Amino acid sequence: MTKYGRQLGIGPTDNTSNERTPRNKLNLIPEAARTSFVPYAPRAHSINLAEADMTRIAPGRPRASGEAIKVSGKLMDEYGRPIRNALIEIWNANQHGGYTHDEDHSGLPIDQNFLGIGRTLSSSDGNYEFWTIKPGAYLARPDIGRWRPPHIHVSIIGGSSRLISQMYFPNDPHNAKDPMRILMGDSFEANIGKKYIVTDGDFDCGYNFDIIIGGKNPTFFENNIT
Amino acid sequence: MTYSNKEINRLTPTNEDTVGPYYPPSLCENNNSLDMTNIRSGIVFKPLGEKITIKGCVKDIDGKLSNGCLLEFWQPNSQGFYYRPDTESHEMVDPWFTGYARHRTKDGNFSLTTIKPGVADGRAPNITVTLFSDGIMRLVTQLFFADEKSNSDDPLLLSIPEELRERLMINKVAHNEYEIEIIMAGNNETPFFDDLLS
Ligand SMILES: [Fe+3]
Repeated sequence: MTKYGRQLGIGPTDNTSNERTPRNKLNLIPEAARTSFVPYAPRAHSINLAEADMTRIAPGRPRASGEAIKVSGKLMDEYGRPIRNALIEIWNANQHGGYTHDEDHSGLPIDQNFLGIGRTLSSSDGNYEFWTIKPGAYLARPDIGRWRPPHIHVSIIGGSSRLISQMYFPNDPHNAKDPMRILMGDSFEANIGKKYIVTDGDFDCGYNFDIIIGGKNPTFFENNIT
Repeated sequence: MTYSNKEINRLTPTNEDTVGPYYPPSLCENNNSLDMTNIRSGIVFKPLGEKITIKGCVKDIDGKLSNGCLLEFWQPNSQGFYYRPDTESHEMVDPWFTGYARHRTKDGNFSLTTIKPGVADGRAPNITVTLFSDGIMRLVTQLFFADEKSNSDDPLLLSIPEELRERLMINKVAHNEYEIEIIMAGNNETPFFDDLLS
């Protein structure tokens, strides 16, 4: 007998979500197939520490324009155990809302000093930090005046996790109407960075963003090795 | 409803979110080439097994190719053995095969070069696919080989209605060449699977 999981929601006013969201309920994974759905992504590459500083194209180059911010936090599982040495990939728009991606045809200004792509690893305590420029909002649906609020994309591949998510900013007026925010409901709170004051270095401020990898997103749980 | 202490003390997970349209292709390993048989290029050692190519595509509810999808593939080696942190020193591991590759498809088409997976743990040979795209959260499924007798005993295939099983079949089109269409929504929608804990 078929056992069903979630019915995925379609993001309101999001055409792509309408075109791509499965209409059938997801099928629950039978226990006998469980482990095979837990990919292990071996990392063959190494990380250059400078890749965590997205405020410059390369060390010694000029600072990109806009608000320079720190984003830091801790990667944890639901029980608060740190997720160590995980690969954290980051990408975000520049202060005008434009991406350096060659498929961004919005025509928004490009900052020659802003690549908008970074990587870092979580520490042995699960902590991470990267520096970037606070992204601008961009008009996602000019026809109905719907904006995407400022957000930073994050992807986590770890010994214990696979998650793609976004960090949003507190009190942004565009948050309320964002389709993905609407799908998240009250739990959207978990995806908002918490502002803090930065005293060292030349930053406007910092945002704390603890990332909790929940039950729907595990890959290989290193803690379960017996 | 009763909860154990463990459940009460759980932290609220960070929500998944859409990958959006602009995942940086340069972040994928191996310069985005989707070849699992060549983890160390330029040397004579190659993985054991039958080298195959699977040409596929991802389509939306209108039958249009879905651009900008991030695809991740995961499978056992030709002996049916998975490479994981807890198995990495096992003799059944093929040192020239990790069973993992990812790729961002620009236009919705992909071509995966790999080794035909072996039979693992009472399962029919299969390849796990994780799919991220603009507009959706993570989707996962498993793809099977249409010509495998063991499909009739596979617990995952048996868990879904018979008429849906063929949508997970990779079809042979020539010697060592296969094809699959992944349909994200609508008619002939690919069955996707959900985590036990959701
Ligand atoms: Fe974005």
